[in-house]
This record gives sequence, structure tokens and C-alpha cells, in this order.
Amino acid sequence: MKKSNVITLLSVLILFSISAVAYANDYLESMQKGIDAVYQASDIPQLQQAVNTLERIGAAENTKWEPQYYAAFGYLMMVNHEKDAATKDAYLDRAMTAIEKANALAPGESEIIALEGFVYMLRVTVDPGSRGPEFAPRALQTFGKASALNPGNPRALALMAQMQHGSAQFFGTSTADACALVERSLETFDAFKSQNPLAPRWGKRMAEALRQQCK
Amino acid sequence: MKAALISIISIITAISVFGQTKVSGKVTDVRGNPVSLANIILTGTYDGTSSDETGSFEFTTSEPGWKELQVRFMGFRNFVKQVELKGQPIFLSIELQEDFRSLEVVTISAGSFTAGDQSTRTIFRAVDIATTAGATADIAGALNTLPGTQKVGESGRLFVRGGDGSETRTFIDGQVVLDAYSPSAPNAPSRGRFLPFMFKGTSFSTGGYSAEYGQALSSALVLDSKDKGEITRTDFGILSVGADAGHTHVWERGSVAGKVQYTNLRPYFGLINQNIDWKIPPTSIEGHAAFRQQSGKHGLLKVYGNFNQSDLALYNYGIDDESRKERYDLSNQFQYLNGFYKNILNQNWMVRGGFSWTNLYNQVLTNTTQIATRENGFHGKTVFEGTLSERVELKTGVEIIGRAYVERTNDDQGGDFDEFITSAFAETDLYITNHIIARSGARFEYNALSNRLSLDPRLSLAWKPGSAGQISLAYGKFRQSPKNELLCINTALQSERADHFILNYQHIENNRTFRIEGYYKRYTNLVKFRNGDDHALNNSGYGFARGVELFWRDNKSVKNIDYWISYSYLDTRRNYLDFPLEATPIFASKHNASIVYKHFITYIKGQLGLTWSYTSGRPYHDPNAQAFNGGTSPACADLSFNWSYLPNPSLILYLSCTNLLGRKNLFGYEFSPTPNSQGIYSARAIGQPAKRFLFIGIFITLSKEKSVNQLPNF
Repeated sequence: MKKSNVITLLSVLILFSISAVAYANDYLESMQKGIDAVYQASDIPQLQQAVNTLERIGAAENTKWEPQYYAAFGYLMMVNHEKDAATKDAYLDRAMTAIEKANALAPGESEIIALEGFVYMLRVTVDPGSRGPEFAPRALQTFGKASALNPGNPRALALMAQMQHGSAQFFGTSTADACALVERSLETFDAFKSQNPLAPRWGKRMAEALRQQCK
Repeated sequence: MKAALISIISIITAISVFGQTKVSGKVTDVRGNPVSLANIILTGTYDGTSSDETGSFEFTTSEPGWKELQVRFMGFRNFVKQVELKGQPIFLSIELQEDFRSLEVVTISAGSFTAGDQSTRTIFRAVDIATTAGATADIAGALNTLPGTQKVGESGRLFVRGGDGSETRTFIDGQVVLDAYSPSAPNAPSRGRFLPFMFKGTSFSTGGYSAEYGQALSSALVLDSKDKGEITRTDFGILSVGADAGHTHVWERGSVAGKVQYTNLRPYFGLINQNIDWKIPPTSIEGHAAFRQQSGKHGLLKVYGNFNQSDLALYNYGIDDESRKERYDLSNQFQYLNGFYKNILNQNWMVRGGFSWTNLYNQVLTNTTQIATRENGFHGKTVFEGTLSERVELKTGVEIIGRAYVERTNDDQGGDFDEFITSAFAETDLYITNHIIARSGARFEYNALSNRLSLDPRLSLAWKPGSAGQISLAYGKFRQSPKNELLCINTALQSERADHFILNYQHIENNRTFRIEGYYKRYTNLVKFRNGDDHALNNSGYGFARGVELFWRDNKSVKNIDYWISYSYLDTRRNYLDFPLEATPIFASKHNASIVYKHFITYIKGQLGLTWSYTSGRPYHDPNAQAFNGGTSPACADLSFNWSYLPNPSLILYLSCTNLLGRKNLFGYEFSPTPNSQGIYSARAIGQPAKRFLFIGIFITLSKEKSVNQLPNF
């Protein structure tokens, strides 16, 4: 083999590996931007833009669950800004579609299951009278499942505490269990570590607000 | 070496220094209005952007060559186009097509009240059945507060738009139920056999329904049973009239549930005075079982079974001679099995199907007579639903209904028949524009007993000019075999027929619903007694019904308060059975009104419900008078109350009482079959079996999830 050919081959290989690394970094970097945009968005248009970015990444990266997860999270945040019940349901449907995709890509991922429970919890808020009986226990059950898959998932605990607190207030019963759970979730938030640089970071402020209500 | 350098440089150039392409454009809908926040995607890359408020977008990409560009936005079809990226700027004018199915732009609404918990646009929700005062968790009782129904106090069944109770047919998961009501004493109201908590959705149609439903002359009550159970739980109920126990076991892909219920009214009747002289107050033992299994990604199998054994005995008194009393015994056995399967065939088509089997045995014994009837029925059905194009959906299916009926009396009178009906139907939904939908279909039936072929067209149109108001029209031909007791006398009788014409306007905005509906219904082929002889039957009867109905529901204006008001006006006459001329039948009342009020009160942890209903006087036939059906009974009114109290999440206390004000309601009169010594037929009023019905229940739920209770049941 001629020396120049060896060099050509080597250079091609090096370029490929460099671009592979660059590509991986590109994914993390783009996701990080998209995730920050969702966290920082303060109205529906900003959320929709962030979700659009995540959906573009998701369409290109069809083996990664994170883009679907954060797109779903974005839709859930939109529900809080929306007043019309039918539109809320449309956002929840969209979130559920993304969650199903994420679930298929990473079966048994506790974070995705917790987000699914969040969808049920928000379904209740759209029409508590008629949906509470069906979706409230379903939400609790799903948070329980997420927690069993990963006891260190603070969001599963915080959401469960939120749901328990809501139903305790609704029924006028003691909120002690819910308040104990929120303390546990806050401890879990402090201890939370993940190998995944894109692991969810949200939820702590919600838990802290709930602790304030408990005092 | 030089060659190698050149190759390295050329590769680097090819990868990273290729020219950037600017892609810009504008996204609009078909009317040219800008679509903001649409997602513009260069497929397979991260490149792309969102459109701004003017629909404009712009981004740059370093991708080379032909690439696919997608534009997506909620409520619109995905737009896809190939673009060539070679450094020159590209401008795209993109027109998005509305996706008819993803938005509930326009829906068929004439004649129907559809209830599902999922959609926020439904007028009547499944949970409403359980929480309507006066209904005591009976499906028919709750639906009787909706427009289109006429309350018949001594029956308890659903009488719709001048039709009698048998003209309303019940379907569970698409399968017909041959007898949807529990037995009751003569002139005492019966209750539905099926508990409302079993169903996730109900669709109550008072006319103009889909070609899928046959053998129903006036109304179709379509009940969809719940899918897989969600949590493992055990339920107990202690009621003033009995007790029940149920258990649901859930696994990853399926669930099984069972419930046993024992009812005995003896202790209750012992406390509260009854107008009926009971020998054996009604007792029943009843069991329900449901199995659910998911298969594959979308497949679902549901099997439901129900058995019931009811007995009662009472004394009937002579109308002429009060001292003449006769014992009346009733025994009724019912078994029902229902199987349902659905799955998705491909992206565009789904299949669903099922079977049902009913076995019914009823025996009535008096000192002088004994009548036993048995009915055995089978119903099988397969339906395909799919999309032919963006604007056209098709539903088509085949079904078979087989029934064997036998009636025997002690003097060996009676009759029997075996009826076998084969039918096929097809129906298309055509979205003419975003705001106009047309549903047209037809139902073909071959009845082997009468050896008749028939084809019944159905047509509905809906137009939604704005965001909240909608106008609908419906027309259809409907048929139903004559009642069993008539058909067994003359098996050559043809189906009874009705034509429905409906015009509807509905306005739904912000959890407030207003609805007005007018209709005309023409009856033909009704069974008629030739020269008044009840054994010489033909199909020469006819009649009509027409009316206007109003409905208003508001659960928005006052927090925690939900109420609806309904009013129905009915004008109907028919000439059938023993009628000597066209007259209003005794079950028809001109004016019906209901006000249903529900108030959730947080600090007493419960829901209070009140229902007021009014039914104007109904005709009755006085054999002492000249005119046929010339008498008019007094109007009926009722104020009922219920209260559910949730002291903690797994316990419910439930209290309900009908006729709070103790009004003495009369439903009509019955007359002695023969005149007395003065030549007068003696009369007796048909009234309520008791002034009030009081119900108390305690429901306890045990499960791992603490906040579960039987609210879906009540």
C-alpha cells in the first residue's frame, strides 16, 4: 500500500471519529438549549417554540427518549397557561403521544412514567367532578410505579405528594401524609444524581411551594 | 504526500466549508391567514425554526443537496416538500390544509346526547347518571330528565317521543340487550338491569341514529363498557335494601372484576308503609363478572357476564269487590353474556366485533292462570371502520340476530317463534368543508321469519357556521319486530316502521349548552287487531308524533353548581292494537319538564342534588264514557333529593329520597273488566307504590391507593 493512501485512509477515519464526537456533543448541546428554553419559557408561544425545537431534534434522533420527554413536558407547561378546557385536552393529547414514543424508546424509565402520571393529574384539573374518580387514582398509581422503578426519582415523589395534598384538601382530611412525602421528595432532590447529562432537573420549586403550604 | 494533503483538504472542504443555504418563507392556512408557531423541520437534521406571528420564517443550513422539508402545526395536516440546498436562498409559500379529524370542528348532533368523560364538549356525562337525584343510580331514571323522554311513573322505562317503552333498545358495546329491565310488580316501576358504573360512556339517541343500530323504532341507548380496570380494589356496600361485595384484580395488560349483590326489600317495606299488599317483597340475587385483556399494541378483548334471579309475590284485589283477593307470584331468571373485541388493522382501518347471548325465563302464577315465557337470543356483529380519503370515513359491518321465544299458559294457550335476521350496513362521513359534514348510510335486513328484505336509508347533515353554534338535520327509516306476545300469535307479522325527521340547533360555549330540537315521526305498519279481536293481527296500524324540545345546561356561572333544565312538548296519535280510531296512547304526556341541580359543597364534603320533574296529565280510557281514551289523569310532579357524603377518601355515605313533598301522584285509572249490577265499570286509581322511596347506602373501598372510593359507582 502506498504511503499516501494510508494517510488518506487514516485522515478519513480521524475525520469520521471527530465528526462522531462532534455529533454527540451537538446532540447534547442542542438538547441543553432546547431544555433551557422550555424551563425558561413564560407563555404559550415561547413554550411552543421550545417544543418545536425539541420535536425537530426528536425527528432526527429517533432512538433518543429525551427530546420526546421534554416536548411532552413543554405541552404540560402549556396546560397551565391555557384557559379553554378543550385546548387543554388537545395539549394533554399531544403530551401523551410524545410520552408513548419516549416509553417505547426507553421502557421502564422512571422519569417518563412520572410524567405520564402528571398527564393524568392534569386531566383531573380540567374537570375534577367527572374525571377525578377515574384519573386521580390512576395518577397516584402511576407515580407509585415510577417510584418503584427508581426510588431516587424525586419528581415521582413530589408529584405524588402534590396529588395526595390536593385530594386531602378536596376531602378535608389530614394533609400529614402528603406533607411527610414532600419532605422526603425534597431530600431526594438534594441527593439526586444521574449519569445522564440531560436528566430532568425540574420539580424542586414545586415541592418547595408545597412545603410552604404544609407549614 | 501532496496528493494526501489535497485529499484531506478536499474532504474537509466538502464536509464543513460547503456554502450555507438560507431558507425562508411564509406559512398560511387555506384562507391566507398567517399560521404562527408552525414547526419547520429539515427532516433528519436539527435545522429548522418556528414561524412568527406573521407566519414568516427564516433559517440557514449547511446541509447540501436534496432534502425533505416538513411543516407541522396542531390541527393541520403535515406539509412535506423536497428542496434542493445549493447555497442559493430559497423562499417557500406554504399553505397548510386543516386536518378535519384532529379538531372537533363539526359533529353529528341531531337527536343524540353523547356522554364520555374524555371529551369536554359532551352535554351529558357518564357520571351524571349516578349523581342525578330521583334516579337512584338507575340509567333510565337519569335519562328521563333529558328532553325527548316522557316520564311514565308506573313503568320506569324510557318512553321516547310518543313511542312506548319497548321502542327504546339498549346496546352494550354494540350488542343488543333483549330485556334491559328487571321485573317488577304490575303498575310498579322497574329498574334497569345494568349498573351505571360499568360504563365509561353512554350515547342516548332520541331519533335519527346511525345505520349500525337496527331493531329499534324510536330510540337507541348505546352503552360503552369500561376498558381495563386501573387498580386492584375490593368494594363493599351496605344498603337499606341489601348488600353487595365486589373485587377487581388488575395486572399489567388486563383485569378481572366480579360483583355479587343481594337485594331484599322486606326490612324496608316493614318500616315504610306500602300501598301494595306484599306476600313476598322483591328479592333478588345478582352477579356480574367482567374480564378485560389487551393484546398487541391496540387490541382489546372484553367479556362481560351477568345473571339475576328475582322473585316476588303479592295480593291483587278486585276492582269491583275489594274483598276478593288473588295471589300473584312472579319469578324471573336472566343470564347475559357479552364479548367484544377491537383492534387496529393498519394506519387507516380498525375492526371491532362481538357477540351477545341472552337467556330469559319469566313465570307469572295466579290462582287461575299460569304464564311462562322463555326467550333465547344471540347477536353477532363485525364492524370495519376506516378512512377512504382525507375527507371521507367509512363504517361498514354485518350482523346476525337470532331469537327463539316460547309462551305457554296453563290452559295450553300461547305460541312460539324463531326469528333470524341477517343484516348489513354501511355509512360514510363526508367532510364537505371544515364546517359541513354529511353522514349517509343504509341498513339492509333480511328477516327469515317474515321472509322480508328491507333497505332503510339514514341521513344526517351538520353545519357549524361559527365556533359555538351548529345546525343539524337528520332523516332515517327505522324498523323493529312486533312485541313478542304479538309475534307469537301471528308469526307472519311484518316489522313495525317509523320515519324520523329532525331539525336541531345547538350552541355550546364555555361549559354552557343550549339546544332546541324539533321533530316529526311517522309510524306505519303498526300491529292492529282486526275488528278488535286480539288474535286476528295485521300490520294496518299507523300514527305520528311531533314535538319541540329545549335544553339548557350550565356548569360555569356559579362555582361548584351544575344544573340543567329540559322541556319536551309532544303531540302524538296513533291507530293501533284495539284502538277504534286515531287517539293519543295512554303513555303519552303533552308536557314534560325537569330541572336537575347539583351542588358540590366542600365544607360538608359532599354533593347535594335536587331534581324537580313535571309530567302533564295522560289520557286514560273510561269504558263508562263515549270517547275512546277520552279521560285525562291529573298532572304528576316530583321533587327528589340526594346527598353523597365523603368523610374520607375510601368511604361514601349516600342518601336519597324521592317525592320529598309527599305529593300524591296518580298515573291513570284501571277499570273492572265487567260492569257491576248498576251497569257501571268500577274504577281504581293507579298511584305510587309508596309516597316516597328512601335509600341509604354505605360504600367502602379497600385498595393500596388510599384515595380511591366508589364515586365512579355513585
